[in-house]
This record gives sequence, C-alpha cells and structure tokens, in this order.
Amino acid sequence: MEMTSCCSVFYFRNELAVLQALSSTVQRDPTASHYRFQDDPYLTPRTASEFKLFSLSQESGRNAAKYIINTYPNFFLKDYAEPHIPCLMPESLQPKVTEVCEAGLRELIHLRKVRSAVDMYDRLLQAGTVVSLELTNNLLDLICFYGDQDPVQGDQAEPEKTAEGEVVQDPAPRRKEGRFRKSDSLHRTWRKDNNAERIFHLMPERNERSYGALIRGMVKYGAHSKAFDLYTDMQNNRMAADVHAFNALIAAAPEVRQKYSEKWDLIAEMLKQMNKLGVRPTLLTFNTVLKSLLRCGPLSRALVLQVLGEMKALGIEPSLATYYHILVAFYRQALSPSTLSRTMLTTDLLHSMMDEISGKVFDALDPDDVYFFNYAMNICCSLKDLGLAYRVHSLLNVGDNWKLLGNPSREGFYYGSLFNLVCMMENIGVVLQWYRDLVPSLFYPNSHTMRDLLQALDADNRLDLIPEIWKDVKQLGLATVSGDLAEEVLALMARDEHSPEIQESFANCALAVKAVYGHGEQSQATLDFTASALCNMATILLAAGRTDQAWEILQLFKANNRVPSEKLLDEFLNSAKSGSNSEQAVTLVQMSSSFSLPATARLAQRVEQEFDLSEEQKKALQDVEATSDSDKD
Amino acid sequence: MAVSFGGAGLILANHAVAHMSRTLCAVPRARAIHSTAVCCKHQAARIRVGKGDKPVTYEEAHPPHHIAHRKGWLSQHTSNLDRETGAAERTVEDIFIRRFIFGTFHGLLANELVIKRRGNMLVVCALFTQKIPAYKLYFLIGYTETLLSYFYKCPVKMEVQTVKDKVVYKYL
Repeated sequence: MEMTSCCSVFYFRNELAVLQALSSTVQRDPTASHYRFQDDPYLTPRTASEFKLFSLSQESGRNAAKYIINTYPNFFLKDYAEPHIPCLMPESLQPKVTEVCEAGLRELIHLRKVRSAVDMYDRLLQAGTVVSLELTNNLLDLICFYGDQDPVQGDQAEPEKTAEGEVVQDPAPRRKEGRFRKSDSLHRTWRKDNNAERIFHLMPERNERSYGALIRGMVKYGAHSKAFDLYTDMQNNRMAADVHAFNALIAAAPEVRQKYSEKWDLIAEMLKQMNKLGVRPTLLTFNTVLKSLLRCGPLSRALVLQVLGEMKALGIEPSLATYYHILVAFYRQALSPSTLSRTMLTTDLLHSMMDEISGKVFDALDPDDVYFFNYAMNICCSLKDLGLAYRVHSLLNVGDNWKLLGNPSREGFYYGSLFNLVCMMENIGVVLQWYRDLVPSLFYPNSHTMRDLLQALDADNRLDLIPEIWKDVKQLGLATVSGDLAEEVLALMARDEHSPEIQESFANCALAVKAVYGHGEQSQATLDFTASALCNMATILLAAGRTDQAWEILQLFKANNRVPSEKLLDEFLNSAKSGSNSEQAVTLVQMSSSFSLPATARLAQRVEQEFDLSEEQKKALQDVEATSDSDKD
Repeated sequence: MAVSFGGAGLILANHAVAHMSRTLCAVPRARAIHSTAVCCKHQAARIRVGKGDKPVTYEEAHPPHHIAHRKGWLSQHTSNLDRETGAAERTVEDIFIRRFIFGTFHGLLANELVIKRRGNMLVVCALFTQKIPAYKLYFLIGYTETLLSYFYKCPVKMEVQTVKDKVVYKYL
C-alpha cells in the first residue's frame, strides 16, 4: 500500500488497500466456523456432511432468488444505484432479436444457445446471406467448446440423439477421485456427423482460427486421431496453428501412439514445429508436456527435469501444477499401493523442491494446481517425515496460497493426513495444540483420525482426556458410524487403574457411551451391544464404585444375548464381598450357571468360602453346583 | 376555552337587575356544559395491561418514550442528521424489508428486525426461533440476501441469531 500526499489529498494505490491492511492484522480464529455461515450455535455445522448441506442449501436459496429475478424482471428494473451496477440487474436469458439476421446469430452465440445458433446459421445460409468469417469462427468456437450440445443447467440432463435419431439417455456422470476428475460435460464424445465439422466443410474460406477451434474441440471431446488428421490438413494448406491448438495436440499425443518412445517422439515433434513456426510456448504448454510425459512410462523420470530446465531458460515461472507433475513422475511408483517396493525411495526430490519454492506466493494459473498440496502431504506421510510436512504446511500459509487447496473435501484430505502424521510423530502436547487449532474450524475428522488421536493419548499416558474426546466424537456424529470408536474408548478406559477423580469422569463417560448403544430415536442409527463393550462398561462402573448401575449392566447381558467374561464375574464378586452382600453373590453364581460358564463351580466354591450364607442360600448354591456337575458329565 | 351557555342568560337592563335577583330563585337554573378540544390517550406501540396471561417481549413491553432510555433504535441510518436527505425513502425501504422478512420467514421471527446501513450495505439483523431445521433457514437466508440485493441494488447481508422460543419479559 502506498500513500502519496499531494495538496492534502491522499490516494492509495489500490481501492482495497485499506481493507487489505486491516485484514492483515487479524489472524484466523480457530473457534469460528467458515465465514459463509452465520455466527450462531444452532447454525454452525458440526460435521462434514452438515457443512456441505448448509452451504448447498444457501447456494440453492440464491439460485431460487435468481430464478425469480430472471422470471419477473419488471420488478427489479428500478435503478437506485449510482453508478449503475450491471451485475445487480436481472439477466435476460431469452433472445430479443427474432428475425433471421447476423445480429440475431451474434446474440444467440452470446447467450450460449448452441442448437438455436446452429439453426439460425443454417437459415441464414438458405436465405443466401453471406455470414462473415469472424462470425462463423465465433460460432465454431461455441460449438466446439460445448461439444455440439447446449450447456447443461444444473440437473436438467437432456437426452442425447445418436446418428440414427434415437434418443439415448445421457450416461450417469461418473465421479472419479484423484487426478482424473471430469465434469459431466466431458463425458460427451465427438460424434461423427457433427455440426462443427459440417459447418467447417461448408465454409467457403477457412483460416487458422477455424482450424484451431476444430482441433481443440476434437481433443476436448476425445476424437484425438481426427485432430491430428486436421493438423496435417492444416500443414498442407500452409497455415500456422496458434499456441492453444498446439497445446491441445500435445495433450492428445499420448492417445494416438502406442509405445512410450513413440509418444515422446510425437510430443518432441510438436515442440520442434512450434519452434519452427515461431510460436512461443506458455506455461500451459509446458504443463501439458509434463502431463503427457507422465503417460510415457519410464521416460518420464529422465525427461521431466529437462523440461523444467527448458521452462526456466525461457523465463516462464513454473506454477504449482508443474511441481505437481514432477512429483508424480518421481513418487508415483513409491506411493501406489500395488508395488511392494515402498522403501525403495531413492530420491529426495521433495526436499530440494521445498528448498526452491518455500516462501513463494503462487497464483491459480492451471486447473491442476489444486492437486499439489494433497500429493505433497501424501508423500510426507509415506516418508514419515514431519519436518518436510511442516515445510509444506508453511508454504500453505504464505500469502494467498491457501486458496490453492481446492474444494472442502480436498482440504479435508489434506488436513486429515497432516493430523495423522502429527499424531504419529509428535508428543501429546503438540498433538492437542494442533487438534484445537484445526478441529472443527478447518476440517472435520473421520473415525480413522479419532482412532489415531486415541492411540496418541494412550502412548503418552494422557487417558484422562478421553471423556472430552468422546464429547467431540459425539458432536462430530462419528459415534454411531461404526462401533469401533465406542469400543476402543471403553477398552482404553477399562484397562488400567486410575485415581478416583479420573474414575468418576470415566464412569460418567461410560454412561454417555451406553446411551449411544441400544434403542435411540427412530431417525438415529443405533449400535448393538457387544460382549466386550458391556464387560468394559461394567468394569469401569465398578471401579468408580457405582455398583447399582453396574448391576443394571449385568441384566443387559441376558437381554441382549451376550455372555459376560469370567474376569468380570470375579470383579463383581469382589465388589459384593466389599459390600458384604451375600444375596448378590448367590445371584451372581446363579447367573453364571444360566450362561453355562465353566467357571460356575469355582465361583460357587469361592462364595461358600468367603461369605456367610444363610440356609436357603447354601441350598441354592448346592443346586447350582449339582446342575453344573451334571452339565460337565 | 371555556364558554358558558346559560339557559337563562338573558341580558337585562341594569334597572331590572334588582328586580331579577328577587325573581331568579323562582326561574329553574340550567346546568352549563363545558367542553374542551379533543385530547386522546397515547396509544402508540403500547400494550395495555390485561389479565396477566399475555406474554410480552422486552421490545413490546416498553412504550416509545423509553427509546434512548431503555430501548435502542430499530432502524439505523444517517438520513436524520443535519443536512442529510433521504429519510423518507429509507423509511419506506425499511417497511418493505420488515414485511418481506416477516412473510419469508413466516412464524420464525422472535422479535422486531434491526436494520443497519453501513456505507452502501444494508445489514438486516434478525432473531429467529429454532422451529425449522438449520438447512432450511440457510436456504431462506440465501434467498433473501440475493433477492433484496437485486431489489435495492446494494449488498444486503443478514446477521442471524436464533433462540429456542420467544424471550418473554413479562406477562400483561
């Protein structure tokens, strides 16, 4: 921000300079939710699915308002704003010009109505008017960009028409995770009787732009070999393709050749021709070269660094996508789950890369930029290198680089792997610090992450924090997803002896966990009691001295068809002894015989020895012993 | 101003006064009607005390002379300052916004809206009850913000707070 004073008038270099200076004084608030939500406990999302639900419903509200505004524009035409704000006026989505003329075609192209534009063009030709070259080129651009179909609005998928005129349903959009995530539109393929090709052949004269548009459309929609045929056509007519067409051809090169060396030869050929024609390569050219190199097998490792060198020699700043492709080339083998040679990592490329790019501010220049941080963090996790992970994370905090993390689910993966690594390697103090910082303002952990956190607590002997963690687990909605977390929590609490206050808090926590099992409300998913869970619950309650509640749990065993362990019954006997309650002891023995446990005889003997029993109780015990003896026979 | 109409207000000559005073006792005396200009009770924004079963919020319970003493302002803009214009337009906008939000968030408003104008931005501060699930509330918030922005050609933001039920101050 620069202020210059000129006759007592201050002006700033940038209108936003004051706001930016103010915002640089404030840091992220780890207790607040994302800024798009309202600041209210009822309206703050607590799980990842709530986050998505709330943001989507807010967005759909906006779309509903836009629909109403565009359907009834006459209410929104009064202009209060000075100067006029065009983005707050209703849009007219219907074309105004109705006659068949060039202005009508121009308008339809502007409104992105592909089919009507093609229709209008045909009618113009039939009427005999000569459509200018530039307008035809615009039309070709439109058709090739949208693949000869109208752009799909939301979930109105129109049925495709095949060459025979039958109506074929649009294939359900596949969602592939990872690098090859395509949107719905790219599942269209380039048809044989395309409008674009037809118009192209009808054109009296074509220039580089027409060829370029067609080549790019073909590559975008999968007709790679046709694109190359068109390119040779272009060369025969002695026309020079522009840089965008060359980028498309380089992207298509791996598809039209089979062997790795041939693929690379074709790419190199394209580059040489670019050089010959004097077309200057851009960042996107080099990124496309790298991307296609990755399809060339073992050649990629050797050549990516050379390509990077070429880029720097030409003075083009690499973007994050460049570094991403280089990382993939080197670490792809080591990270894939199928290879066994995970320890065969003979490179410290990521270290040298971080040396080079630490502290730099990156812009979003390539759609593949968003994959970098996730992949780098993945590599750090498999290398178990915490220092490197911290370096990657500090790069994220430089300037506006956080915007290059991608959509919220991608962010979730990144922070999830970072937190897993921290849990594994750092001591509990640092782990808890990170936990408070990241959750839940930046990411919502899944049950795997919470398990890691519990293990870290265990390793550092801080089990007294378990009740708090359980509260968080419930709030995140992870308690009922699978029974593992609840069982793990109970097992950890029941394992060792602790001081009385901790036992108290454990007992309260155990009761809270118990509420998760059993029959909840109709809409909630519930878990079934398992034997180990019940055993652990009873143990914890006994250790805290809550015998009544522990006895209730015993009843639950029978109700849910679960068998208690012998160790548990011993503990109950101990507690009955300390309470001098012989009635309970006898009931215990009867219960164990009803489960047909082999330890019944031993328990009965113990009760006879250690307790003062009345006559009926002794008789009941003998009955039990008799039945258990007969069982053994 | 008091005006008296006398039923027997005849103006008599002086010489007959003495005679009249003796005979006045015999003439029936009529009562005079006094009347003043109409002076109605204040009834603006007041809820009269009733049986004691009507719940009333803090805002509703205090009549307007308590503004700036026990109440704040519901609509904050600078048009009422010296040499500033546009107060009437702001008021009309406010009325529209209040009705619009009352209708859109039907049955959810726990208290009157507070409308603030900062720069060219309109901030609508609302207090809602938690009768509908949160995602439906977000739908309505997104819808309102966009529609009002397009209507008034300025950024409109909502700052929402929720309460379990309407907060009752007393029962009147």
